[in-house]
Amino acid sequence: MSKVVSLKEAIGEIKDGDVILTGGIVEDRRPVAAAMEVVRQGKKNLVLIGTCSLCDDIMVGGGCVAAYRGTYTSNGAFGISPNFKRKAEEGSIICDDIGHIDYSIGVMAGMAGVPFIASKTCIGTDVLNPAYDNLGGARSVARNPEVLPKKKYVLMEDPFFDMGTVQLIPAIKLDVCICHVQMVGEEGTVRIDGSLTFDHFAALSARKVIVTAEQVVPESYIRQDPNRNCIPCTSVDMVVELPWGAHPGQVYNFYDMDIPFLQEYAKSCATQEGFDKWAAEWIFNENGHDDYINKLGASRLQKLRAVPPYGYVPRKKGGVK
Amino acid sequence: MTREIAKPGEYSPVEAMVVYAARFLAGFDGKKGLIGTGLPLVATQLAKMTYSPNMIIFVETGQADARPQELPISIMDSRLTYGSSWQMGDPEGLFPLSRNEIDFGFIGGAQIDKYGNVNSTFIGGDYNKPYKRLAGTAGAVDIGVFAKDTVILMAHQKRRIVDFVDYLTTPGWMVKKWPEGTLVRREELGLQGGPSSFISSMGICRFDDTTKIMYLDKYFPGIKPEDVKANTGFDIDVSRATEADPIYTDEIKLLREEIDPLNIYKMR
Repeated sequence: MSKVVSLKEAIGEIKDGDVILTGGIVEDRRPVAAAMEVVRQGKKNLVLIGTCSLCDDIMVGGGCVAAYRGTYTSNGAFGISPNFKRKAEEGSIICDDIGHIDYSIGVMAGMAGVPFIASKTCIGTDVLNPAYDNLGGARSVARNPEVLPKKKYVLMEDPFFDMGTVQLIPAIKLDVCICHVQMVGEEGTVRIDGSLTFDHFAALSARKVIVTAEQVVPESYIRQDPNRNCIPCTSVDMVVELPWGAHPGQVYNFYDMDIPFLQEYAKSCATQEGFDKWAAEWIFNENGHDDYINKLGASRLQKLRAVPPYGYVPRKKGGVK
Repeated sequence: MTREIAKPGEYSPVEAMVVYAARFLAGFDGKKGLIGTGLPLVATQLAKMTYSPNMIIFVETGQADARPQELPISIMDSRLTYGSSWQMGDPEGLFPLSRNEIDFGFIGGAQIDKYGNVNSTFIGGDYNKPYKRLAGTAGAVDIGVFAKDTVILMAHQKRRIVDFVDYLTTPGWMVKKWPEGTLVRREELGLQGGPSSFISSMGICRFDDTTKIMYLDKYFPGIKPEDVKANTGFDIDVSRATEADPIYTDEIKLLREEIDPLNIYKMR
């Protein structure tokens, strides 16, 4: 059965207060067009899990996010995620920092259906500082608080291999996972090129999974080589075809990052007024993503197209200006 | 061939920092490193082209033995994917750390203290309303906990090099034992490794074997030990320091013409 829907319908399934994770990381393979639709539909009180970079920061700027629980809040070379930074410094977003391996094994525990997993990941650091534990705050805004764990961690002595004090890390569970990928079958089978980031685990630990893709292909085609597939159709609820859906970020084998656009974003969003103006220009248009790519224009996009076999635009071939 | 020496002023302090870091990585030729985002990526690229061609690069977004043909801009850059041995996701990228396979981790940060603890989370006294919010833990906490050695790269400014970090993201030599938060030596918590070196824009600092407190080991050409003292937020021992070998013009040329011609990393 085809799961192909419009972007509007897919995002319409997200409820205020949902615990949400977006695929990809930093400015790479991020569901940017989907995040813009979240802003258009005026979602509120989302609890963001994992990272807060490009697409997440757009939702923060749009007033959709009440809490963040994760490991990274930067746009890499383009600076700390500007909307998040501003709101964190104002004290208007709940932050709960966790480690990167915490996040990794947490999301794997969620995928495995086990309640917790143990490691030394954050021993000795302020990630375990009880004064900085804002999990309760995040639970208080979540629509389904039971999706979030009751405790951030528990310390215990390793009873098996004498590794000393270890940290029990709760599974990461999700209401919604949105991924942007290169290819998806119309029934939801996902194929990713480049880093899988957390998508291959997160999609399997979420109640609802929305996949936006550069290409939607016949399911029979993507099933000719199942070993190359990363998320099974059984874990995907909705599929949206959305070419350039991760612009201004990268999509391996499809396009490179739009550096001037990313720099402009960083500059514009230093203030809320700046973000609002940026959003009026790029998000709040009549025909959503179609208007967005038309505004960018064919010649701008053409220059970003990945050059085979590299999967990006090498500088010697005119890339990354 | 005689190499031409570049004089201070012919390169920026950040370029000097990256060049000395690349030279430092010569000690890790053939070893496995987990490389963090930002300037460590630049120094790694320079090292791979010069002093450490056989260094094996792991990246937290899941590339094993990455061999980027040009400087990556992002930590999940397609430039890291193409040519790598294996491309999975973040968990698979980070687990070489927790499997104890990583010889060294290479990170930046915003604040470092005399014990080599690094802060990349927030500056100020209030976590819920920080003076400055930063990037968070990503990889940095994990490298500090698991890598056999940690190398830290950061511009040398008084406000960044402090007595104790505002938030302990990457554990150095004196760390916090929870639930009380008591300061203890890292080995007391069963943590291996620890930072061997902090490479700044003024010199290279190391940590005393006994006290585990940072001291100045090398200062860069054009910098005096007193300058380092004046630009450090605690009373740093400079008595053991000697001047570093000069920088060569070919190193700066590589940085400017081959590695970052567009100055994306704002090194100059």
